[in-house]
Amino acid sequence: MKRFLTALGLLALFFIPGCEKDDLCDEAARTTPRLIVNFFDFANPTTPKNVNSLEIIGDGASDPLGTFNGVSQVELPLRTTDDFTRYSLRINSNNEAFDNTDYLQFNYTRDNIYVSRACGYKTVFDLDGTSAYMLTDAEPADGLWISHVFVNTLEIDNENETHVNIYF
Amino acid sequence: MKMKRTSIFIFSLLLSLSGFSQEVKDSIPVKTERYGLRVGADIYRLARSFYDDNYQGFELVGDYRLTRKFYLAAELGNEKKRSDEDQLDFTTKGSYFKVGFDYNGYENWLDMENVISIGLRYGVSSFRQTLHSYKIFNPNPYFGEIPPIQSGEEFDGLTATWIEVVAGVKVEIFNNLYVGFSARINRILSNKEPRNFANLYIPGFNRTYEGDFGVGFNYTVSYFIPIYKSAVKKKK
Repeated sequence: MKRFLTALGLLALFFIPGCEKDDLCDEAARTTPRLIVNFFDFANPTTPKNVNSLEIIGDGASDPLGTFNGVSQVELPLRTTDDFTRYSLRINSNNEAFDNTDYLQFNYTRDNIYVSRACGYKTVFDLDGTSAYMLTDAEPADGLWISHVFVNTLEIDNENETHVNIYF
Repeated sequence: MKMKRTSIFIFSLLLSLSGFSQEVKDSIPVKTERYGLRVGADIYRLARSFYDDNYQGFELVGDYRLTRKFYLAAELGNEKKRSDEDQLDFTTKGSYFKVGFDYNGYENWLDMENVISIGLRYGVSSFRQTLHSYKIFNPNPYFGEIPPIQSGEEFDGLTATWIEVVAGVKVEIFNNLYVGFSARINRILSNKEPRNFANLYIPGFNRTYEGDFGVGFNYTVSYFIPIYKSAVKKKK
């Protein structure tokens, strides 16, 4: 009898570590990723180069994403309702004499992937293998400040790697 | 009390089969206890089917007294449950069966036949799910929040097995009529999950938590069908 109850007690312990909180989505890294863009020096392509007052605005967004200064990496959210996202990238936006705007559009397909009860689903992106991006000049033309765009990976499913390099 | 001939026959047959046969030697009346089958239903699931628009279900329960303390116990049920949560809206539909035993730790007075038990069950469920709609979790909603996505996708042929530890009580309120309550903690043993979704509710198991853990309870009304009587062995 006592041995039996001890056995049941030990069995009950088997259940306890299973109890975890699952009603909050721990958003870090597991959900919809942004496009990670790194900037490099065109003259010296292995050297990261910081941008000067780069104002980024997404087509269809109500506000600028932000103005980035002294960084060599930006994270661009992609639209989860369309298969493309276009950004306006205006460098030297703090100086009317030297500012220059280029448009960079990313083309992709989307997949909605189950994450968890609390997070629901996430969207991951596959950049188009033949035309992952389109680089265009502003209207009226002011010349391209971006010299070269290189796509490191077509699969955008996390934020742990650099997806796109921009050389200028 | 009446004792039918057939009962005597079953009684003696079972006793001889199980090797428990004993001879009554003295003339002091021997205390006897009744053995038989108890069948009933979970009235919580029945009631909830009426007041909860998102739930339909029933559960039949039964136990058979094997020895003085041990009962073979089983539950059989069917559930349809809609879970409308923050990120997901889905319906789970299916049947389940649980089998195991209860150990009655309660020493009854006189001829009372109440049960305070602890037991184990092995549970198995076969079910399907329909995902009505879901939300995309986007920590950087720069282009604005998007509404839930309508799906309607069906996930068929899902199965799960689990083990339950059951603590229960059954009280005889009228002759042979019992009311009972049991609380259970469950742990998944196997779980056939759908592609690109998960088994967040399993009929019989209830809501699943990360770590394969679950809880449940029932509130039963059952009827005892006596089959035979057996003398209580005196303690030496």
